[in-house]
Amino acid sequence: MRAELRHFFGTLTGRLLKSAALWSIAALAVGGLVLSLVFRSYVLSDVDNRLSLLIDSMVGVSEISPEGVIRFSRPLSDQRFMTPESGQYWQINEAGQEPFRSRSLWDFELTPDVSHRSFSLKYYETDGPDGQTLRIAERDIILPQSDRLFHFQVGTDMAEVTAAIAEFNWLLVSALGLIMVTVTTALVLQVSYGLRPLRKLGRSLIEIRTGKENRIKGDWPQDLQPLAQEINALIEQNEKLVDRARTHVGNLAHALKTPLAVIQNEVEGLSDKSAKRIYSQSKLIHEHVDHHLKRARIAGGGTGAGLPIKDRLQKIIKAVAVTTHEKDVDYQLDCPETIKFDGEKEDFDEILGNLIDNAGKWTEAKVKITAAMVTENLRRPFMEIRVEDDGPGVGSEDIDTLFERGRRLDERVPGTGLGLAIVRDIVEMYGGQAMLESVNPHGLRAVLRLPAK
Amino acid sequence: MRVLVVEDDEILAEQIQASLLEAGYSVDMANDGEDGHFLGDTEPYDAVILDFGLPILDGSSVLKKWRAAGKKMPVLVLTARDSWSDKVDGLDAGADDYLTKPFIVEELLARLRALIRRAAGQSSAQLECGPVLLDTRNGRVTVSGRAVKLTAQEFKLLSYMMHHTGKVISRTELTEHIYDQDFDRDSNTIEVFVNRIRKKLDSNVIQTVRGLGYRLEWDEGVA
Repeated sequence: MRAELRHFFGTLTGRLLKSAALWSIAALAVGGLVLSLVFRSYVLSDVDNRLSLLIDSMVGVSEISPEGVIRFSRPLSDQRFMTPESGQYWQINEAGQEPFRSRSLWDFELTPDVSHRSFSLKYYETDGPDGQTLRIAERDIILPQSDRLFHFQVGTDMAEVTAAIAEFNWLLVSALGLIMVTVTTALVLQVSYGLRPLRKLGRSLIEIRTGKENRIKGDWPQDLQPLAQEINALIEQNEKLVDRARTHVGNLAHALKTPLAVIQNEVEGLSDKSAKRIYSQSKLIHEHVDHHLKRARIAGGGTGAGLPIKDRLQKIIKAVAVTTHEKDVDYQLDCPETIKFDGEKEDFDEILGNLIDNAGKWTEAKVKITAAMVTENLRRPFMEIRVEDDGPGVGSEDIDTLFERGRRLDERVPGTGLGLAIVRDIVEMYGGQAMLESVNPHGLRAVLRLPAK
Repeated sequence: MRVLVVEDDEILAEQIQASLLEAGYSVDMANDGEDGHFLGDTEPYDAVILDFGLPILDGSSVLKKWRAAGKKMPVLVLTARDSWSDKVDGLDAGADDYLTKPFIVEELLARLRALIRRAAGQSSAQLECGPVLLDTRNGRVTVSGRAVKLTAQEFKLLSYMMHHTGKVISRTELTEHIYDQDFDRDSNTIEVFVNRIRKKLDSNVIQTVRGLGYRLEWDEGVA
């Protein structure tokens, strides 16, 4: 699971998501913190304003009684000052006197800091009765008509304020959380939308590799266009290289074969021992050249249009008939006009040329070639071609080895024995299948499956 | 039988020429596509051996030009390009047979014999006219089982006639088909040859068609 996660964050999507998530979380966290602080200070300044007003009204109603004690000329309007532990308190201290306290304080006494005088308002928080946390405003005042110094204090329970701040924070966190989820979803969508052309490019490459297309086509976003062009240029260069290599191999083979023909004809029929050796070795050279030339020629790719096979089969049959003309062979072709081979003409010719030629060599009188589309539901369309002869056939244990390189069951019939191995190689290159089976009462049938257009 | 060989490799061309001469053919040689095309276009050949890889004009173009111009002589193609596509396209261009390099000249001769025979409408390797028998494989001629020795020119003449039994053949046609292009032709010598062959065969198979030429035919009554 961890490995999978690491793998995901290694992908382009993962990296984009990860970096986007990191900065958005940081931004949201900072924003949330600032909002929370602003709200808190706003609420506190509201409380402080109220406390300051209360101190003012306390001063307004304070008077010195005839007995020389401080008292209120009338009670403060807020009833909560009368209810014990209501959360609203006041207290007035004078040095050396019992503090004058609100009823709500009950038996609790605020502990004012009277170490030094301060005629300006001071705010702070301290413990109150019943475990409350109080916000206190306090100042020293000298009442008119007296020169006595009083320390006025007003306190209010912070519980409500704390609750309001907590509620606000909770709201804030949920809102930010919601934003986070929305943003992440949007990011996922955005990344997948943004990367869609890349995925399309990937699919185009697959189509090129499997031979359905030969170039990357269509319009691409401006920033991908150069990539698409470069890939096309690379493919083109690759094609040219392959082409040049094939031409070189062809030229080399051509250049070698004429001297080989000369050598073979020069020593052929001589009874000299070394002449015979030269002859057999030059024949071997010929076989090697053939083998590699044929393999180099296999193209294994699809073409744009597809090759109509009926016409091609007729031409191949004509070519085979010419080389086996000593025998009167009836070649029967049954092939719908519509079937097209999804590949190179050269490869098709090589496969069917070898198979039909083989059938023509071994047959007694009749070679049957049938082609049809495969009706099974496969991932891509396939055709099935059968080449059947009425020759002696092959034993069941030999049938599997026929496709091997250089395998020939009868040395009397001419051929280098490479034909069937080449057939298998090409067919497999196209993702097709080649099978051999026996025919009743005698004969051999080759069954091919090749990609169709 | 007169054959054109178009091959650019000198040694191989020499080998082919030597074998063809030995086998009793008249041979014209060309070593590039242009010369080859010209000869094939202007001279009557019984068969052409054409290399596909030629300088100046490639073999398949030569062949296509001949066929487009209505030239029907059988053409045996030689090539190093032995893929089935080359074979199929070569035959599609109008070749009658196909031999890939390297090859043994014996094989070439056998294919050539078969090609000429098929072009003349003969299916057997032994040509027959009454008691006269010509085996194209070894060039032996017999009359009622008795071997007959012929000179090279006599053989060429008889061979051509045996390929076209029943057909009236003019002296010019015979000249064209038994001499190569460098030979100083004289149609009068044809008459001398025909008379010698008649004597050697000791059988009246060669008939003179007045004003037209000769005809090889076996007529029980005349014999």
